[in-house]
Amino acid sequence: MTMTKERFAGGLTYDAYKEAMTRNRERVEDNEKKVVLDPGTVRFFKGLPEPINVVVLAEDWCGDVIANLPVLGTLAKAVGTLEVRIFYRDQNLDLINRWLNQGKYQSIPVFAFFDQSFRDLGHWIERPASVTELRARKRKEIFASDPAFGSPDAPVDQLPEDVRTRLQAELAKMREETTAFANNEVQRELRELVAAIPAR
Amino acid sequence: MSAVKVKITYCAECGYEPQTLDLAKALMFEFAQDLASIELIPWEGGTFDVSVDGELVHSMRREGGFPAAESVKAAVRARLPASPAS
Repeated sequence: MTMTKERFAGGLTYDAYKEAMTRNRERVEDNEKKVVLDPGTVRFFKGLPEPINVVVLAEDWCGDVIANLPVLGTLAKAVGTLEVRIFYRDQNLDLINRWLNQGKYQSIPVFAFFDQSFRDLGHWIERPASVTELRARKRKEIFASDPAFGSPDAPVDQLPEDVRTRLQAELAKMREETTAFANNEVQRELRELVAAIPAR
Repeated sequence: MSAVKVKITYCAECGYEPQTLDLAKALMFEFAQDLASIELIPWEGGTFDVSVDGELVHSMRREGGFPAAESVKAAVRARLPASPAS
């Protein structure tokens, strides 16, 4: 299907989406506070020749939505040139099936960019590959740091409860410590995606 | 009688609670007190693992997707003492 002005208008604004969240709103708002906007990225988006419409596909249970939507929401509020409308993935399967991750996964969030005539400009899915790679490496380091954690590929239910709790705390700490990097990478990728759009 | 223990490790950040609860419910109704316990372990990283008496019978990473409740029931049934012949 094609995105139309009418359908776009039926999406939720970022604030309306947060109002409608049935869970994890506090995590989204905590993440908003951690977003430090890159001045060059802000200048770039403020200097766009015309506003861009951004279709977002999301669900409020999704960790990558909780992590990355606040980056877009905060950026959009700061620059004034990104008009964001959010749609629930599971109620808009025609949309998600248009932007499948690797052609097969319904990964979210999806940020899909359209010009004022709703011509497709490109899209962004889930999280930056650099973030996935960094966290996978850090995860391996955590497992290697303590023999009690066993293999990263072994089922965690076989760990004693106290070890599992310790491991979970280490993983949560690692995610926290890599948040700033992740937020910067999201901004960098969004800027690069939009910068690559040929002038019409 | 030796009762069977089931552990379901699910990715909480992925929102796998409904699948976890559906499976737990199916096992509870099927086996009642023949199960010693069903332990639900919130985890991360896209995990959905099910073990029965310490043996991993389903792993989302290994098999892909969620398990059919029937296959987990079969794994439990295989570990229950045989019923006396009627």
